[in-house]
Amino acid sequence: MATTKTVANRAIKARAKATPDRIQNDILSTKAIVNQQIVGNAIHHVAETEELTSRDLPKGDISVPMNLWLDHKTELQARTGLVAVQIAADEFPEDFADEYADIPMIVLPMVAHIDGRSYSHAYKLRTRFNYKGEIRAIGDVKYDQLSFLTRSGCNAFELPAGENLETALNAFSEMSDVYQPSADGGALIFSRRRAVH
Amino acid sequence: MYKYDAVDKTIVSDRVEQFRGQVSRHLAGELSAADLAPLRLRNGLYMQIHAHMLRVSIPYGLLSSEQMHALAQVSRQYDKGYGHFTTRQNIQFNWPELADVPDILKDLSNVEMHAIQTSGNCIRNISSDHYAGVATDEIIDPRPYCEIIRQWSTLHPEFYWLPRKFKIAVTGATQDRAAVKFHDIGLEVVHNDANQVGFRVYVGGGLGRTPVIGKVIKEFLPREDILSYCEAILRVYNLHGRRDNKYKARIKILVNAMGIDDFRDEVEAEWAHFKDGELKLHDVDFETMQAFFPKPAYQELESGDERVAKWRDLDDRFKAWYDNNTVDHIQPGYRIVNISLKEHGVAPGDATDSQMDAIANIAEQFSFGEIRVTHEQNLVLADVREQDLLDIWKALDADRLATPNIGSVNDMICCPGLDFCSLANASSISVAKQINEKFEDFEELYNIGEVKLKMSGCMNACGHHHVGHIGILGVDKKGEEWYQLTVGGDASNNAALGTHLGKAIAKDKVSDAIGDILDVYKDLRSDDERLLDTFRRVGIDPFKEKVYSEEV
Ligand code: HEM
Ligand code: SF4
Repeated sequence: MATTKTVANRAIKARAKATPDRIQNDILSTKAIVNQQIVGNAIHHVAETEELTSRDLPKGDISVPMNLWLDHKTELQARTGLVAVQIAADEFPEDFADEYADIPMIVLPMVAHIDGRSYSHAYKLRTRFNYKGEIRAIGDVKYDQLSFLTRSGCNAFELPAGENLETALNAFSEMSDVYQPSADGGALIFSRRRAVH
Repeated sequence: MYKYDAVDKTIVSDRVEQFRGQVSRHLAGELSAADLAPLRLRNGLYMQIHAHMLRVSIPYGLLSSEQMHALAQVSRQYDKGYGHFTTRQNIQFNWPELADVPDILKDLSNVEMHAIQTSGNCIRNISSDHYAGVATDEIIDPRPYCEIIRQWSTLHPEFYWLPRKFKIAVTGATQDRAAVKFHDIGLEVVHNDANQVGFRVYVGGGLGRTPVIGKVIKEFLPREDILSYCEAILRVYNLHGRRDNKYKARIKILVNAMGIDDFRDEVEAEWAHFKDGELKLHDVDFETMQAFFPKPAYQELESGDERVAKWRDLDDRFKAWYDNNTVDHIQPGYRIVNISLKEHGVAPGDATDSQMDAIANIAEQFSFGEIRVTHEQNLVLADVREQDLLDIWKALDADRLATPNIGSVNDMICCPGLDFCSLANASSISVAKQINEKFEDFEELYNIGEVKLKMSGCMNACGHHHVGHIGILGVDKKGEEWYQLTVGGDASNNAALGTHLGKAIAKDKVSDAIGDILDVYKDLRSDDERLLDTFRRVGIDPFKEKVYSEEV
């Protein structure tokens, strides 16, 4: 494997915290879609702020920003209840490769659905780091994003309040075929045709 | 040409129904206009000044007669009886109703057409050489490669929400007619020392506000790796391209900011993770795909035709058309015919429904039922017998499609400008008319020879003015329309951006200024130099002096 080189906008040493690419407010939805089923939800997703400390955390199931996890891992692991970890659009999954064995669920908070970076994050988590836990997209995630996020490796979603989850389930069956592999293990169209010929 | 199999049909018809659902959720108030916008854009539907505009994909510019008839029918049934062929080899309809668009797409899917990814920040239609398969300078036929990339990039789940749009072009000839150095990725065929087929890969070219000539990221990419390498470039771009400023979001800005060497290192490191995986292509994939683009059933013919030769002597108009609008073919006894969509007084690239039907019929009768769209907004009949040229000319002429101006000043590229575009600073179609009127004397046009004139109504550069031998850019000066001229741009192998002539010119003086530039050229040219060659030899100053000399 080639060595990974650091590019200009990745500064692992001094990781930015409250960038515009991070969710600005906590997210707590009553429902989620997990493995294409609507289920109740109690996970409290804690937004990243410059001042956030481990003492500010709510009780119960939570997801925390990666920075908080890295700084307070032992303390967080001692909690009862779920501690999921967020990877923001402007973070890079390869920077946390050593952590995934300890993280039960990864949350991809999307500030704007037109920002496609989380798709690549999910893809890398599944294909490169072989992450088997739940990958959940939250934030500005609606009906029309669910199918491609699923193909890229997400298997759980929380939609903004007001979205109709029943209708959104149609997203999973709209497209019945695909041309290319992604994290869904699909084959390239040409290799499928090769098999036929 | 490529024929859909069950998979292609399923994907296209599912996408039509998905889009129908998106539109009806919108009309029912369940999907906001803001949320619909990026979705409709990814299916070619824009909102313009007057109405919606639908851009339909013509993969690498290739159309069958049946498809051309279908486009004519769409323009008749759902639009105002015309369509506009674009610089990226697509077609646009300017007046469809939102509620009709799903039906339009359904009709088009019956002839294996779609509007998938013709706009929006995703991978766009793959463009290529309009003489593919018939050019005398062709090394390999680029069409199978285009189709392979088209399928891989269609509804690619990871690259649907890029920082900005992404355009890929492929050329397989020594003369680059696909402007590969002005695309986000440009693929130029090359053989390596072992005589294997591969591509030189350019990255980060583009026009728009910041015109940049693409840089070589890989000197030789074996053909079996084209998809994985493109995927690596796209992933690096998706993750690192700027998203905070849409004018700095194209890959060209990222490549310039990182430097091509660091960018290459990043791509190679990414590529190493999966280069020999599922995306690797096999020889049989190319063979299977090439079989969709067979040589047509040519007859064994001698070059030259007596009747055509005789009529060239007898009829000046036919001779002019033959000399300007037809091109040598690899097959003896055949020629390539260009159909000019630059008739005087018509917006460049526009064709009416009856013209489209006529072209489809002529292609059916004389050119194996195929038509190509060029990035210079003309059409091509690629496989015409020389002995049929006179008949074709008459048929085209009857529908005003035989204007003998291909490659001349009047064969200009021109964006919609103020007439249709909300971003325009200045009108371009009326300036095109002004220029057409100034150069009505075809003898004079031929004397001037090849001049690629390209005009944009604002710095977004839809009309590619940076790479015009003469470029015209509309600028706004205190609410008035002014025009900035450049000389010496070139989109082909010796890619160059035009040099500024000087300060902007008033609207009514544009064609005079072009006249001045061409006068200087005629004075200074040696032998068979084109304007571009003369400019390269003498520089901008003589042109500048003449154009600005008459000012008070
Ligand atoms: C009618 C309204 C139109 C609008 C509002 C519009 C808008 C734009 C904008 C904003 C850009 C710049 C994108 C960027 O910065 O990357 C652009 C680029 C472009 N447009 Fe248009 N456009 C219109 C019509 C057309 C038409 C009709 C054509 C084809 C004839 C066209 C061809 C192009 C091309 C080829 C580019 C890319 C230039 C490059 O290589 O970067 N546009 N357009
Ligand atoms: S160049 Fe400017 S004026 Fe012309 S179509 Fe593009 S955005 Fe509109």
